[in-house]
Amino acid sequence: MSLTPEIIALLTLDAIFCFLGLVAWVVAFRIAFHWNAKATTPLQYTLSKQSYLGAIIIKYIFMLKLPLFAFFIYTTDTLSSIIAGAMCAAGVVNSVDFGLYLTVFKLLNLYLFGFWLLLHYADVNDEKLPFTRLKFVLFLFFALPLFAEIALEVSFFSSLNISKIVSCCGTLFSAASDSYMSLLFVVDGYIWVGLFYGSFGITLLAYGLKNQLLLIASNALFLIVAIISLIIFFSTYVYELPTHRCPFCLLQKDYYYVGYALYTFLFAGTFFGMGGAVLSLFSKEKIRFSRLSLAFNTLYVLMISAYPMVYFLRNGVWL
Amino acid sequence: MIFNMNFLLLDYAIRSLMRRFSKNFFIFLILSLLIFLLASVLMIADAIKLELNSTLKTLPQITLQRFIAGKQSDVPIARAEALLDIEGINAVTPRVWGYYYFKPAGVNFSVVGIDAYEEQYSPTLTLLTQHFDMKLLANKESMIVGEGVKKILAENYYSDFFNFITPKGEWKRVPIAGVFHSDLALESNDLIILPKKLAYAIFGMEESKATDIVVKVANVKEIATIVQKITARYPDMRAITQDDIRVSYQNIFDYKSGFFLSLFSVCAFAFFIIIYDKTSGLSSEEKREIGILKAIGWSSDDIVKEKFYESFILSLGAFLVGISSALFYVYALQAPLLRNLFMGYSELKPTFLLPFSFNLSMVILLFLLSVPIYIAATLIPSWRASSLDADEVMR
Repeated sequence: MSLTPEIIALLTLDAIFCFLGLVAWVVAFRIAFHWNAKATTPLQYTLSKQSYLGAIIIKYIFMLKLPLFAFFIYTTDTLSSIIAGAMCAAGVVNSVDFGLYLTVFKLLNLYLFGFWLLLHYADVNDEKLPFTRLKFVLFLFFALPLFAEIALEVSFFSSLNISKIVSCCGTLFSAASDSYMSLLFVVDGYIWVGLFYGSFGITLLAYGLKNQLLLIASNALFLIVAIISLIIFFSTYVYELPTHRCPFCLLQKDYYYVGYALYTFLFAGTFFGMGGAVLSLFSKEKIRFSRLSLAFNTLYVLMISAYPMVYFLRNGVWL
Repeated sequence: MIFNMNFLLLDYAIRSLMRRFSKNFFIFLILSLLIFLLASVLMIADAIKLELNSTLKTLPQITLQRFIAGKQSDVPIARAEALLDIEGINAVTPRVWGYYYFKPAGVNFSVVGIDAYEEQYSPTLTLLTQHFDMKLLANKESMIVGEGVKKILAENYYSDFFNFITPKGEWKRVPIAGVFHSDLALESNDLIILPKKLAYAIFGMEESKATDIVVKVANVKEIATIVQKITARYPDMRAITQDDIRVSYQNIFDYKSGFFLSLFSVCAFAFFIIIYDKTSGLSSEEKREIGILKAIGWSSDDIVKEKFYESFILSLGAFLVGISSALFYVYALQAPLLRNLFMGYSELKPTFLLPFSFNLSMVILLFLLSVPIYIAATLIPSWRASSLDADEVMR
């Protein structure tokens, strides 16, 4: 284990999240079992006060998790200069068996907490507090990936081995049979590109039809297909190298940190798309998230499409 | 939306902070001091790392040391010539150097023997040999010393010569031919340069041996392969490449600043408890204030928000003060006292300027280590304050 300042910062914040998360969990537990909006008992009075505490804590955790996710990726990126063989965050993340799960959990938690806050927003803006019980029941489940993430992160940093030689992204994301992605390479790259634009088309259609269920499904599909097509097709144009496929090197200085912008657009777009739709299924209030979602998704598509286009215009050939 | 700013609330928060000036000022001061300490340590570590990395480029690409029974020992010079037939090696230079312990001052001098006709392995040495006439140095059997050495010798009344004591117990009188100044102060302050023949005599070494061998490689990418070839031919030789040194430097500095940070987190934890205690102990006046606010229609959410603004303003202010005073302390004052933590205490340690480097990632790191932690400490107390009942506290 190496204690670089960045790792200590992450672990310290993890400890705080763990403590506050436990407090919120206990609150959620009590509310989930004893909440009764019609009762006038002292217990209900205490619970309604405590629901504030739970909400404050969850807001705090989410507000910090957002920049911390970028900081985590950045930290693993800087660690790649110490660990032999790693050239970007991909190598460091995969130097530990569960590194990929950690990243996925982090992302999942961001989405879950974001949805929770949307629900909370709908709840407190209604004088009857219709979702208080529901949101704390949900938190009971949402907290589990949070605790799992913290446990994984602690064991991730403690089992990082500096002298172990790891694979770089060049081998992790190659068509070779032993990589994660080999399954995806069976399908031709152009099919993924077609799927990518196709799913974007479906989201556009869903915006037009204002069909909430379709919006949720199409945004979820768009998110998954966008990441796969980014790895398989678009990243090669960012690096201008037909063999270099990596979702992490985008975040490095050599590519002007373009990955941070790309991922922000993609995650914000799909989050608002799904969250807004879920919310409008619950509450009657009109919330204009779909426009935000549309804007971010379109920005992402324009930006990522610009890379192959510019490459083609400059060189006259496709990679 | 969810996170919109309320400027009136912000205004109220600032005024509320000013109303309890002495209490808040104490917290502000301690917090700034903590952040200042942490920022200074990280900045010093960063600056030294930068300075070392710039000297690193002047170090030899591969250094070969011979180990017998786990101890470093001298290398036969014949091996240097034998190495030349490995493809890709440009030049091989056997070095004669070591440390000479000068007891009266309790310091070690780095003594380096050089040959006038040899190609020098480091740019600093090349520069030095251009400035001074090495052939003259060899004829006169004299030495050139660094500024620090000159000072130490002068303090011990050796103004124009120095008596080395050889392992046989004889005195070797060597006149000082000159003093050199170098921009790269880290490596030349404690340096003595003299002809190889003299170095052999001072160290009592056999003239057919060298301390270690420096290898220059034409293509940097071949270094790993060449190291493999050399160690296959001479299993008792250990090769140290530039990259090895870079990684170990980084580890050392990460370790040192990490070590400090762990100590710091104990401090921060203690501070956390103080804050928790201070913010949860509300005075009757504060309680009354909250009661009045609630009576005139503030919700618990408003009060929590106002408390959040208060702690955010306080911690952000302390963060800015801490960072800027650390910048001043480290780069303008050159970090007196604290730099010894990283440099060690040796008398002959060079006096060099910490090069200015300011990276955003460190600021983000410091921010994450201060502001969110402070806010976390005030989170539960401010909720507790906000959930007071208006009728109860105003009674």
